[in-house]
Amino acid sequence: MNTINNSQHDHQEPRIGVYICRCGGNISDVVDVDRVAEVSRHIPGVVVAKVHTFCCSDPGQNTISQDIQAEKLDRVVVASCSPFLHELTFRGAVQRGGLNPYLYEHANIREQGSWAHKHDPAGATAKSIRMIAAAVGKLQYSTPLDQIRLPNHRKALVIGGGVAGMKVAADLARRGIPVLLVESSGRLGGRLNQWNRVFPTDTPAGQLVTKLLAQLDANPLVEILLNCKVTAVTGFVGSFQVTIEGPLGPSGAMTSTQTTIGAIVMATGFKPYVPDDGEFLYKKDPGVVTMPEFIDLMRGQQTDTGELVYKGRTIRSVAFLHCVGSRQIDGVHTPRADGKINTYCSRVCCTTTLQQALAAKERFPSLQVYDLHQDIRTYGRGHEDYYVRAGKAGVVFFRYHGDEIPRVALADGKRPAEPSLHITFKDYLTWGEELTLDVDMLVLAVGLMAGDIPDLINMFKLPVGEDRFIQEIHPKLRPVEISVNGVLLAGTVQGPMNIEETLNAAGAAAVKASAMFLKDVVELNPYVAQVETDLCQGSGACVTQCEYDGAIVMVETQVNGKTVRQAKVNPGLCVGCGACVAVCPTRAINLNGWRLDQYDAMVDGLTADIPAVAAATS
Amino acid sequence: MTTQLHKTLHEEMHFFGGKDVDLCMNCGTCTVICPLARDEGGTFPRRIIRLIQTGQKRLLVKSLDPWMCYYCGDCSENCPRQANPAETMMASRRYLTSQYDWTGLARLFYKSAMMEILTIVLVGLFVTGLFVWFHGPMVLSFPVQLNTFAPVKWVELGDWIMAGTLSFFLLTNAARMVWNTLGGKQMFGISSLIYFKAVPVFFDHMFTQRRSRQCGSTRSRSFWLKHLLLVSGYLSMLVLVLILLRWFQTDRIYPIYNPQRLWGYYATLALLYPTGAFLISRWRRKEPIHFFSEASDWIFLVMLFLTALTGIMVSLARVNGFPMTTYVIYVIHLSIAVPMLVVEVPFSKWSHLLYRPLAMYLVSVKKAAAAVSLKTQTEAATA
Ligand SMILES: Cc1cc2nc3c(=O)[nH]c(=O)nc-3n(C[C@H](O)[C@H](O)[C@H](O)COP(=O)(O)OP(=O)(O)OC[C@H]3O[C@@H](n4cnc5c(N)ncnc54)[C@H](O)[C@@H]3O)c2cc1C
Ligand code: SF4
Ligand code: SF4
Ligand code: SF4
Ligand code: SF4
Repeated sequence: MNTINNSQHDHQEPRIGVYICRCGGNISDVVDVDRVAEVSRHIPGVVVAKVHTFCCSDPGQNTISQDIQAEKLDRVVVASCSPFLHELTFRGAVQRGGLNPYLYEHANIREQGSWAHKHDPAGATAKSIRMIAAAVGKLQYSTPLDQIRLPNHRKALVIGGGVAGMKVAADLARRGIPVLLVESSGRLGGRLNQWNRVFPTDTPAGQLVTKLLAQLDANPLVEILLNCKVTAVTGFVGSFQVTIEGPLGPSGAMTSTQTTIGAIVMATGFKPYVPDDGEFLYKKDPGVVTMPEFIDLMRGQQTDTGELVYKGRTIRSVAFLHCVGSRQIDGVHTPRADGKINTYCSRVCCTTTLQQALAAKERFPSLQVYDLHQDIRTYGRGHEDYYVRAGKAGVVFFRYHGDEIPRVALADGKRPAEPSLHITFKDYLTWGEELTLDVDMLVLAVGLMAGDIPDLINMFKLPVGEDRFIQEIHPKLRPVEISVNGVLLAGTVQGPMNIEETLNAAGAAAVKASAMFLKDVVELNPYVAQVETDLCQGSGACVTQCEYDGAIVMVETQVNGKTVRQAKVNPGLCVGCGACVAVCPTRAINLNGWRLDQYDAMVDGLTADIPAVAAATS
Repeated sequence: MTTQLHKTLHEEMHFFGGKDVDLCMNCGTCTVICPLARDEGGTFPRRIIRLIQTGQKRLLVKSLDPWMCYYCGDCSENCPRQANPAETMMASRRYLTSQYDWTGLARLFYKSAMMEILTIVLVGLFVTGLFVWFHGPMVLSFPVQLNTFAPVKWVELGDWIMAGTLSFFLLTNAARMVWNTLGGKQMFGISSLIYFKAVPVFFDHMFTQRRSRQCGSTRSRSFWLKHLLLVSGYLSMLVLVLILLRWFQTDRIYPIYNPQRLWGYYATLALLYPTGAFLISRWRRKEPIHFFSEASDWIFLVMLFLTALTGIMVSLARVNGFPMTTYVIYVIHLSIAVPMLVVEVPFSKWSHLLYRPLAMYLVSVKKAAAAVSLKTQTEAATA
């Protein structure tokens, strides 16, 4: 066993303060904190070891700051709860005492000590001592670090000009942030351009788009690029270099332009599920249409005739089928080309269906309207009203089970005036009896699918969920952020949402993005890779290993008048994963704050022969 | 087997008072709440509503469930959609009454109150006419000689003719009910012992309406009593008029404590009090069962009330020696009672007096038959 011994290091003897927290009994009920303090005082380098009931309280923090001054401490360890809770708190206390905040280490003797070893106080005490010894060891090699500060270009890029993108752009511009809104089609508004009146207010969809347009037009900080696409991106949060292609400029010819952007919001939306040919006779019989097609045909209908007419045929009966392309079941539904099925609920199709069924019944009272659902998921404010009203208006509801998909066939003995579609299903509202319906039209309430944006996914390394939508870091705690720093999500690019939810998400993304522009620099934590130029032989193993484009690259530099190739880290892109450290043949790369010699010292600390520890454990 | 849906049924149901069927979202609360569905292992009222929504006429006509409900209104009280399942049950009883009736008159009367009233008026005028042309001498001295004005043997003959005709209609309708609900020809497959053994069930329910007492929490306690009183008054009158008319319609004035008078007064009160109370309750919408009133409900109660009222007036006039008044009110009395019976007994609300206990009887026949067939099946399987 190693004995802790600093004599081999040639730097000045450190003066370390160790603060042990009782956590109001959470720790001290199990761990003998006084003993821990007693033993800690004997660890080489430690000059102060104190116990406090709540280190995180103001008096606790003040003790640390004051001791730094009074005892001339140059490094601090706090042994307390998880660093997730209070690492930043104590870094602050250390900084207020006049030290660099990175000359601080945290020993988690609560979650990893008293709570984990409730029934073994002696063991918990011994472990706490070892963890402090490891922290002290690591600290001896710590160097002052500074947050990485990168220039922050005060300009946002919004990709996708649906309501989500429009809302983000309008909100950002209102806060004085210049915005570039890039839309791949020739028109803003996204899917709303296809809809008629939208639930839950029955507002004309166009009216919403017009209102958002007016907000955008009114603000000179918004630049809108239609028919354009983002084709390349480099750089990192605060300064992305973005290439945009499209008919830019007055000539209308395809050109490409580059611009520097501080933050990016993805708002590329969704695409409606398109049934396979023949799925529920789609494309095989003209009477089978998808919900977007039905909305379109309703918009074109004359009401005064009192009859719903489609492709020259009078429609007397129509059935709506829920969950087409959603809530699919393994082994029941045919997977898509990528081998996946859509197991998720698309959330908007129930209310859309009820709204459309009601509208159809109200506009054409003699029309027979049927609704085949698995469940009615009218979860939002005002959504249930459509259900009640549709029932009242005479829409007849049926309930099928997801693994018994209704079957659609062409009705036989077909005369022009007769319903052409024959639907057979088990109705669980009629105690599972098999029922048949003959109808002129079947509307497939298709769900939402992730949009086709493979190029953007590749470019940005966007995290894709099991459902193909782009995935946030945490659905509740960080709902619009993704693992790519500086890129945010807005709207249905993330998953099925209705307009209300889309706009809420967009508002949140806009707030997050504006917060990024509060400072004119981007501050990142300093735990990134660093190449020791003396040691780097230019093998390039690190570059091959690194998963993050541009985080580490080979550059040519002059060493002693000779041109050599060496690795160079881009601190904006490095995430500090350490993969390069592991592969470097000459140990030329270290992670700041987690250097290899620090690891060695921690191991030494953990395994050190501390006589008092042995006594405590025996 | 697949069922084709008839979309006309639930529109048709509107005529019978089932106006809120569309509102039902099939949550099943009503069935869970119903105190009567519970012990029948029943699925009503939701099942009945569902049959109507999906237009399954065949199954509805086959169902006895509507007769199992005594209209406490608990289901309607608890329905989250205000779909009024109790009233739908009522409507389906009206519908079934019209379906059992082969003449089509029941249907006509339920669909058009005007036709019902017109029929009542015509029959009433016919009765009045008979008396105007064929009455006996009007003796205006004391004591009143009603039997001279309207000889009891002739009245009795009229009674019997009417009773015979009405019974014919009512019984043929009831036979259709049996046929429909026991599955047509299948009814002959059931052993006659089963039919015989279940007979007490019929009388039990006819005379006690026990199930009505199990009915829910919102129903007033006195309802069952009032209803029972009404039935007893009704049956008393039937016995007095059909079987004991010669004993009941006399010119001699018996002392007040004589059974002839006591029974008559009892029957009158037993008719007047509940009908009066029910009329008020319907008017003020006091009890759930009386929240919704179709024309047929009003006509039934008003006619019954007037029959009893004129009946007692005849008696009072006779006992107190007002001959002319007696004769005139007697004619009015019969001109109300006869059309009431003609219209109500086989073709309208009255018929439930027979259909309800019959339904209970049929349920128990069905149960017994099912038990037997299950037994033979298991025996065949084990053999
Ligand atoms: C049939 C149906 C009916 C609906 N009815 C209602 C309703 O009544 N009420 C309601 O609240 N919600 C309704 N919704 C949901 C509603 O459509 C969505 O909430 C809304 O459209 C989401 O807006 P978005 O901006 O996120 O996406 P989108 O509307 O899809 O907009 C995305 C935009 O991004 C653009 N884009 C895509 N890829 C790129 C790219 N690579 N580069 C640049 N631009 C790109 C697209 O061209 C589009 O303009 C309905 C949905 C469906 C399927
Ligand atoms: S919202 Fe309704 S129709 Fe759409 S997937 Fe979910 S349950 Fe099915
Ligand atoms: S630490 Fe990770 S991200 Fe950074 S350069 Fe090395 S391998 Fe790349
Ligand atoms: S009638 Fe009312 S309580 Fe009964 S199933 Fe329908 S909605 Fe539910
Ligand atoms: S009214 Fe009463 S008895 Fe009739 S179905 Fe409703 S709860 Fe049952």
